[in-house]
Amino acid sequence: MVVFALAVVGLLPLLAMLYKSVFADGRWTLSVYEHVFSNPAQYWPPVRNSLTLAALTAVCALLLGVPLGLLLAKTDVPLRRPLMVTLCAPLLLPPYILAICWFNLMSRSAWWGTDNLSQSGLAPSIWLFGLPGCLLVLAGALTPAVIILTVVYLHAVNPRHEEAGRLVTGWRGVLTKITLPIISRGILFAGLLVFLLALGEVGVPMFLRYPVFPVETLTQFSAFYDFGAAAAAATPLLGVTLLLLVGERLYLRDKTYELLATAPGRKILVIPLGRWRVPAALAAILFAVITVVLPLVSLVVSSLSPFAYAEALNKAAGSIGRSILFAGVGATVLTLLGFLSGYLIQYRALAVWRVVDTLTLLLFTLPGTVIGIALIALWNRPGIGWIYASTAMVIFAYVAQYTALASRITVASLGNVPRSLEEAAQMAGAPWHARVLHIIVPAALPGVIAAWMVGFIFCMRDLGASMVVYPAGQETLPVRIFTLMANGAPSLVSALCVVLVVVTVIALGAFRMLLQSAGHRR
Amino acid sequence: MSRRAVILLIVAIAIAAAIAWHTIRRGDHVVVVYVSEDQVFSEPVLKDFERDTGIVVRAVYDTEETKSAGVMNRLIAEKSNPQADVYWANEPIRAEVLRTSGVAAPYRSPSAEGIPDRFRDPQGYWTGFSARARMLIVSKGARNKPASILAYTDPRFRGKAAIANPLFGTTTAHVAALFALWGDERGNAFLEAMRKNDVKIVSSNGESADQVAAGSFQFALADSDDVYSRQKQGGSVEGIYPDQEPNGIGCFIVPNAVVLVNGGPHPEAGKKLIDYLLSRETEKKLAYSDAAQIPLHDGVETPPSVGRLDTLKIMNVSYAQVAAKMQAIQPRLKDWVGH
Repeated sequence: MVVFALAVVGLLPLLAMLYKSVFADGRWTLSVYEHVFSNPAQYWPPVRNSLTLAALTAVCALLLGVPLGLLLAKTDVPLRRPLMVTLCAPLLLPPYILAICWFNLMSRSAWWGTDNLSQSGLAPSIWLFGLPGCLLVLAGALTPAVIILTVVYLHAVNPRHEEAGRLVTGWRGVLTKITLPIISRGILFAGLLVFLLALGEVGVPMFLRYPVFPVETLTQFSAFYDFGAAAAAATPLLGVTLLLLVGERLYLRDKTYELLATAPGRKILVIPLGRWRVPAALAAILFAVITVVLPLVSLVVSSLSPFAYAEALNKAAGSIGRSILFAGVGATVLTLLGFLSGYLIQYRALAVWRVVDTLTLLLFTLPGTVIGIALIALWNRPGIGWIYASTAMVIFAYVAQYTALASRITVASLGNVPRSLEEAAQMAGAPWHARVLHIIVPAALPGVIAAWMVGFIFCMRDLGASMVVYPAGQETLPVRIFTLMANGAPSLVSALCVVLVVVTVIALGAFRMLLQSAGHRR
Repeated sequence: MSRRAVILLIVAIAIAAAIAWHTIRRGDHVVVVYVSEDQVFSEPVLKDFERDTGIVVRAVYDTEETKSAGVMNRLIAEKSNPQADVYWANEPIRAEVLRTSGVAAPYRSPSAEGIPDRFRDPQGYWTGFSARARMLIVSKGARNKPASILAYTDPRFRGKAAIANPLFGTTTAHVAALFALWGDERGNAFLEAMRKNDVKIVSSNGESADQVAAGSFQFALADSDDVYSRQKQGGSVEGIYPDQEPNGIGCFIVPNAVVLVNGGPHPEAGKKLIDYLLSRETEKKLAYSDAAQIPLHDGVETPPSVGRLDTLKIMNVSYAQVAAKMQAIQPRLKDWVGH
């Protein structure tokens, strides 16, 4: 079922798109590839820009995210929980909205006034447009992923190793010689993930006018309406992504899974900061204020007009409802597929399941618009048009893009479930579905719930793929925001962005309360 | 089956039913329209159509601000199995592309009576209505005021002018119109002179208007609705119709265009929507809206801030010519932009 689902929503659409690029009028041809790659002078600068941006973003996210993860997970710094929530808040927003936040904050008409700086030649908006701005926004958007992964991997470190180390050296030595080397492959994976996500990002570089390679692909779609050329233009990105994922599979994947599989939820050893507690907290708070609070406050401030919220709710009530419905259904399907995929990866050692894992990660890192166009190429056909015209396409897009998240979270949580539990039930004659439903799911429940919540967040904020495939009249809230950005009142757009964040938080809170009340009843 | 499983099953069925209800609620009283005109301007018109006719409008909106893959790609990708009945283009060039790629079907609407021939396809594959003018948006603080698009090559404005990325939107059409009018040699020379005069490329017309309103540039080319909206937001800008002098080339006019999609699922409802969009009433609404668009029908009432066709000197080019030229100069534009 997993392979079938991923094939029909992910692999086959991509193959259909590539097929269109090499067959014109029923004949095999490489003419679109020759045309696209015939001028290296046009072709290489955006490739170079893409790789530069992705590499710098990954380095910045690691340099910021790993120390912050260490601080929040391993030390007794005050306000750990609120800091963690604040620093991870950018994950709730599509990156292009963060770009808008920074633009609001740095433009000449910003509420705190940058005119004085402009007159002295230091206008912040001047350097926001281009590589520095893209780096600022993407590092801000993706550093939370590194923080979360660092925290997760730190929880997987066996405290006995650290205790043994503490007998002969201080915490600095333990961290540099034991803790960090143990989680180094996990950190490398986090860096790779950030690199790939930055490599496929379109919205931010486009808004901040930095010519990267995915923009080249979109140019073929949007300016030339040439699907074959667009597919050809996407191939180098696809190639780099595939190469890195194969490397990840060979070098990192098993190691990162093994790392997580050895983490039976044990207690983490905490480093006492002593007199550095307050300065460390202040530094983290300052960082959170600059990178998260200020941009979000600028969004809220720009939304504060007498009628913005009333108009936002009036114009987008339907979109809000649809977003919650679609994200809820999407997260549920993702959790189901992610669980099955994770189960197969964890418990079935066949090579094919590892390929499925790589495929899900490949789809996760592709630009959403490419996935959307690929879905159209496969699904818009007479006979199955009723599927294409339905909201199922939005769910397909979610599944294609985000199964990797649910799958990886499930694998991590299944690693903590002893195989012996299932084997004992099997020996007692319990069928497979009973073993999964009554033993494995309850044992891995925290991971399943985490997969649902992460899936919900990503479905709620999805734009690229859903924008291309949503059925007429069924737009989601991010799509609504995006289309209203053209000549819509800035206060209305900002208000809708705030509504997106609030609705996501409320929905997640409600889900958590539901689970807690269900837990109490039990 | 346990009680919990039954509840879960009911919830799953309810969710599936909700999605199905959202999706399957189709019929004769539905029209599917893909819209490239800004949603803030087009949605109220479509709501009025729903109210007046009882036909439910299902719309897919586009934006050129961030260059999404967009509804044109959807229309072309869906050509073998069309989902839309009508395409509301924000300029006739896209409509021309659809005509040449077989996505459009001919339809001569009775409401098109009175719209000048230059704004209609002779075979009825598209019909124009409510136009924007390509204007110079100029900072009120600028010492020198440009009166022609040739100001882009004037050394007095070196490094002080911006233009939206000509690979997208109405700027593509405008540059193509210049090539069609002047010929390739002069068109190329103009682009080269702009480059030498350090004209900055920004992502969209909206952004170029914002940049002028923010004082980053002295002027830029933009659509008349961009100028009007920045003025309404209190921006210190004024709009100038370029090249209005007796020997000037005139102002490039960009009408909306409406297209009946070939093989769409609700052709009759589609024709009713086209008739509605091409009516004088719709043109009046769009003139009085924040779009501030210029009616193409003669004698439609307009507010004072909206220009009138009979008082403007209009660039003399055919949109079919412009569309053909636009395809031809794309590699040159791509090179010029530096992608």
